[in-house]
Amino acid sequence: MAERNEAPVLEVRGIVKVFGGVTALDGVSMSLLPGRVHCLAGENGSGKSTLIKIISGVDTPDAGEILIDGEAMSGMTPARALRAGIQVIYQDFSLFPNLTVAENIVLPAAIASRKKLFNRARSRPGAQRIVDELGLTLDLDADVEKLSVADRQLTAICRALVQDARILFMDEPTTALTHSEVARLFGLVRKLQERGVAIVFVSHKLDEVLEVSHDITVLRSGQLVASGDAREYSVQSLTVAMTGRDVDTTRLVNDLGKRGAPLLEVSRLDLPGAFTDISFDLAPGEILGITGLLGSGRGEIVEALFGLLKPESGTVTVNGAALRPGSIRSSISAGIGYVPEDRLTQGLFLEKSIADNIIAGSLDSHARGKVVLSQKRIAETISTLFTRLRIKAPSVAAPVRSLSGGNAQRVVLAKWLATKPKILILNGPTVGVDVGSKNEILTILRDAAREGMGVIMISDDVPELVSICNRVLIVRRGSLVAEFDSEQIEAQRIQEVMAA
Amino acid sequence: MPIRTHQSAAGQVNSRIDNTVRTWISHIHVDRGIGRMLVLLVIAFALFAVLNPRVFMNPLNLQNIMVSAPEVGILAIAMTLAMLTGGIDLSLVSIANLTAITISTMYTGLVGSDPALAESLGGVIVLVGIAVGVLAGLINAFLISTVGITPILATLATMQIFNGIAIVWTGGKTLYGAPQALSAVGKSTVAGVPVLFLLFLVVAIVIGLLVNRTPFGRKTQLQGANPTAARFSGIRSASVLYGTYLTTGLLGGLAGVLFVTRNPTASADYGTSYVLLVIVIAVLGGTNPMGGFATVTGVVLATLVLQVVQSGFNAIRLSSYEYSIAQGVILIGVMVFDQLRFRRRTRYVASTQTRNIASMSNVGEDADETPDTAGADSVETK
Ligand SMILES: Nc1ncnc2c1ncn2[C@@H]1O[C@H](COP(=O)(O)OP(=O)(O)OP(=O)(O)O)[C@@H](O)[C@H]1O
Ligand SMILES: [Mg+2]
Repeated sequence: MAERNEAPVLEVRGIVKVFGGVTALDGVSMSLLPGRVHCLAGENGSGKSTLIKIISGVDTPDAGEILIDGEAMSGMTPARALRAGIQVIYQDFSLFPNLTVAENIVLPAAIASRKKLFNRARSRPGAQRIVDELGLTLDLDADVEKLSVADRQLTAICRALVQDARILFMDEPTTALTHSEVARLFGLVRKLQERGVAIVFVSHKLDEVLEVSHDITVLRSGQLVASGDAREYSVQSLTVAMTGRDVDTTRLVNDLGKRGAPLLEVSRLDLPGAFTDISFDLAPGEILGITGLLGSGRGEIVEALFGLLKPESGTVTVNGAALRPGSIRSSISAGIGYVPEDRLTQGLFLEKSIADNIIAGSLDSHARGKVVLSQKRIAETISTLFTRLRIKAPSVAAPVRSLSGGNAQRVVLAKWLATKPKILILNGPTVGVDVGSKNEILTILRDAAREGMGVIMISDDVPELVSICNRVLIVRRGSLVAEFDSEQIEAQRIQEVMAA
Repeated sequence: MPIRTHQSAAGQVNSRIDNTVRTWISHIHVDRGIGRMLVLLVIAFALFAVLNPRVFMNPLNLQNIMVSAPEVGILAIAMTLAMLTGGIDLSLVSIANLTAITISTMYTGLVGSDPALAESLGGVIVLVGIAVGVLAGLINAFLISTVGITPILATLATMQIFNGIAIVWTGGKTLYGAPQALSAVGKSTVAGVPVLFLLFLVVAIVIGLLVNRTPFGRKTQLQGANPTAARFSGIRSASVLYGTYLTTGLLGGLAGVLFVTRNPTASADYGTSYVLLVIVIAVLGGTNPMGGFATVTGVVLATLVLQVVQSGFNAIRLSSYEYSIAQGVILIGVMVFDQLRFRRRTRYVASTQTRNIASMSNVGEDADETPDTAGADSVETK
C-alpha cells in the first residue's frame, strides 16, 4: 500500500457550482492520493456527480481550483482531463447507443491517440482483453442500445479501464450488477490501486463502500460535512454523516390479517429461454419480493406480468379476471403498474417537466368524459404526489433531466401512484437511491400497501427485501426455487439460496 | 464542520412561495418561442410600414395578408402536429390539391346539368372534398403506424402518388369553377377582418386545445418525446399515429377548401412552394423537429411573420426569389440565435458523452475550447 504522506495526484479547493439557483457544490475541497480508493458519499442530489463532472472538465465550476500534481489547471476541459490520465465511469454511462460494445470500449482511446481512421476489426482485440480480464461474458458485437442495463454498465466500466488511467472516477458503477460481477470489479480495483492509480468510488451501497475504500469524503447539500479514514466509519455512522439522522432499517412489515381471495394469481407461466412453470399469488396489501442472480429470469417474469413479454403458456388473473398475454394495455387496465429497471429510457420523459411525467400514465382518468383534461384535477394530483413523495426540485415545471437519481426515481413512482394501481410491480426501485431516500421510498410502498395495493418488488438488495417484504421468492435459472415466509425471512439464508 | 439543519416551517412556506414564482417564470421561458416570433412580427411590420407606408399600410394590402395567411397557416399547423410525434407530413399540399380538384370537378359536373342543384349541394361537395383529405390521411396513418414505414418516406411516397393522381385526373390543366357560396364566404369580413382569417384562428385554437387540453394531445407530445417510455406508460402508438395523420389529412383537406375559396380554380401544381415553407414555419414557431415540443401560437405567429415579409417584399418591389432568400435567412438567423442561447444555458444538460467525445478530438492539439464561465444557469431545455 502507498505511503500516507505521498503528494496528492489531484486536489480540488473550494469548488462552487450553481445550477439556476440550486447550489450543487458549495466550496468543496478534496485531495486524492495515488494507490488509494477514495469514497465520495452523500445523499441523492448532494453534488457527487457534479463534482466528478467538474474535475473531468464536463462542467465548469463557478469558483475554486483544480490542481493536478500540485499544478493549478485553469479551465479544465475533457480533453485536458484525459491527457492528465483521468478516466470516468459516468453515472449515465455516456455510451453511443448505435455502436457496438467493442467500438464503444475502444473508440475513445482511439480518438485520444489521434488516429484519424478507425478500424472496426482492430477494435476487437483491445476490447476482448479487458472483457477477459474482468472475466465477463459480454457480446462484443452487440449494439449497445439492445443491451440490458447491466451489460451497458459493464461496457462503460470496460471503456474506462481499457485505457491506462492515473485517476479513475467510478460514479455508481455497480447499480445494475450483482454480487459476482461486483466482486470481480473490486478485484480489478485492488489491482489498479496497487499499481498506484488513485480511485474515486461513489455508491449508495454503503457496505460496498466500506469494503473497498481507504478514505471517505461526505457531501450534504453541496457542502463537505465530513472526511477521514474509512476505517473510522461503520454503515451506521456513515449514514448519519450523510443524512444527519439515524435511518432505521429494521424489518417492518404490514400485518396482512386473514388471507382472503388473492389479488393476483399467476399459474404455470412458461416462456422457453426465460422461465418455466412459474406459479404464485399475491394478496391485497402484500409486499412480495422476488430476487435471484442476474440472468436468472426474475426480470422476465415481471415483464410478462406487465405484458412486455408474451408467455407461451400459463395464465395471469387479477381479481379472478384473466389478462390478455403480452398486452400492456390489458395489464394496465387490470390495474397493474410497472416501474421499469431502466428508468432513464423506459420510465421517464427526460426533457419533459416533472408535472408532465407524473400524469403521463393517467391522462385518461384525468379527463372529463375522456375528452377534455381537467386542469384542476391534474394540478391536484401533481401537487399531492410532488409533496407526498418529497421530490426535491425547484418546481414541478423543471425538466426531469435536471433531477438527481433518487428524485428521478420518485417521479417514476409518482407516475404510477397517480394511476391508482391495484398492483405495483417495481424492478429495482431503489437502485442508485441514497439510504435516506431509499427508506422513504420503502415507507411510501408500505403505506400504499396498507391501503390495499399489492406490491411486487424485484431487488438485489437483500437487506432491503428483508426490511419490507411479507414474502420473498427466489428465482434460479428460470424457476422458482424457494419461498421465504414472514418468520423465515433472513438476509443470510436468502443469499445462500440465491447463490447455490 | 458545517452541518445544515433541517428546514424550518417558515422556510418551507418560503420555499413553497418560491416554487410558485419559479413555476411562473418557467412558463414564461416556455413561451419564449412565442416571444421571439412576436418580436420578429413587430419588427417586420414596422420595417415595411416605414419603407413603403403607402402600399404596405394600405387597408387592401393588410386584408390581403389576412386572406392569404390561412391556407399556409393551416398547413403549417398540420405539419406541426406531425412533427410533434417526431414525424413529418410531406403529402399535405398534394392532399390539399386533391381536395380542391375534387370540389371543382364535382361542382362543374353538376353545374353543367343543373346550376341551382350544384349551388344547393355546395355544402355536400365541400364535405366530400374534406373526406378525400381524411382518406388520404388514413392512408398515411396506415403506412406509418400499421406497416411501420418512416414518416418521411411514407409521406414522400404518398405525396408523389396523390400528386400523380391529381395530374392524371386534370390532365395537367387548371380546372375552373367552385361553389359560389364559397367565393362569397371568401370575400366576406366581420368588422373588417376577413372570415377566412377568423376561420384560421378558430382552427388554431381548436388544435391548440387538442394538443394541450386533451389526453390525445398530451399522449402525442409524450410519444414524440420518448416513444419507449410512452409504451411503458400504456400509451398506444397506433392510436396516437392514426389520430395524428387523420387530423393532418383533415387539415390538408381544409386547406384545399381554402384554395378554391380564394380562387375558384384547382390544379395539381398549386402551392408547390408550400411544402418546404410550412416546415420552415413550423420550426420557426418553436416546433422541435425531433418531436415532443410545439406551440400552436408560435406557429400562427410565424405564419404571420412570413406573410408580412412576403407582402412587404412586394410593397418594396422585391421578387419572390428574394423572398425565398429571406425565408432561409430568417430560419438560419433564428436557429443561430437558438443555438447561442442553448449553448449558454444547457451545456451541462446535454449528455456528457457528446461533449466528451467532441472535445476529445482535440486531444494533443492545443485547441482547447475556452470553458464558458456563465454562472447562474437556468434549468430549461426548450
Ligand atoms: N444539469 C443540471 N441542471 C440543473 N441542475 C442540476 C444539473 N445537474 C445537477 N443538478 C442539480 O445539482 C444537484 C447535485 O446533483 P448531482 O447529480 O451532482 O447529485 P449526486 O450527488 O450525484 O446525486 P445521485 O446520488 O442521485 O447521483 C442536484 O440538486 C441536481 O438537481
Ligand atoms: Mg450522481
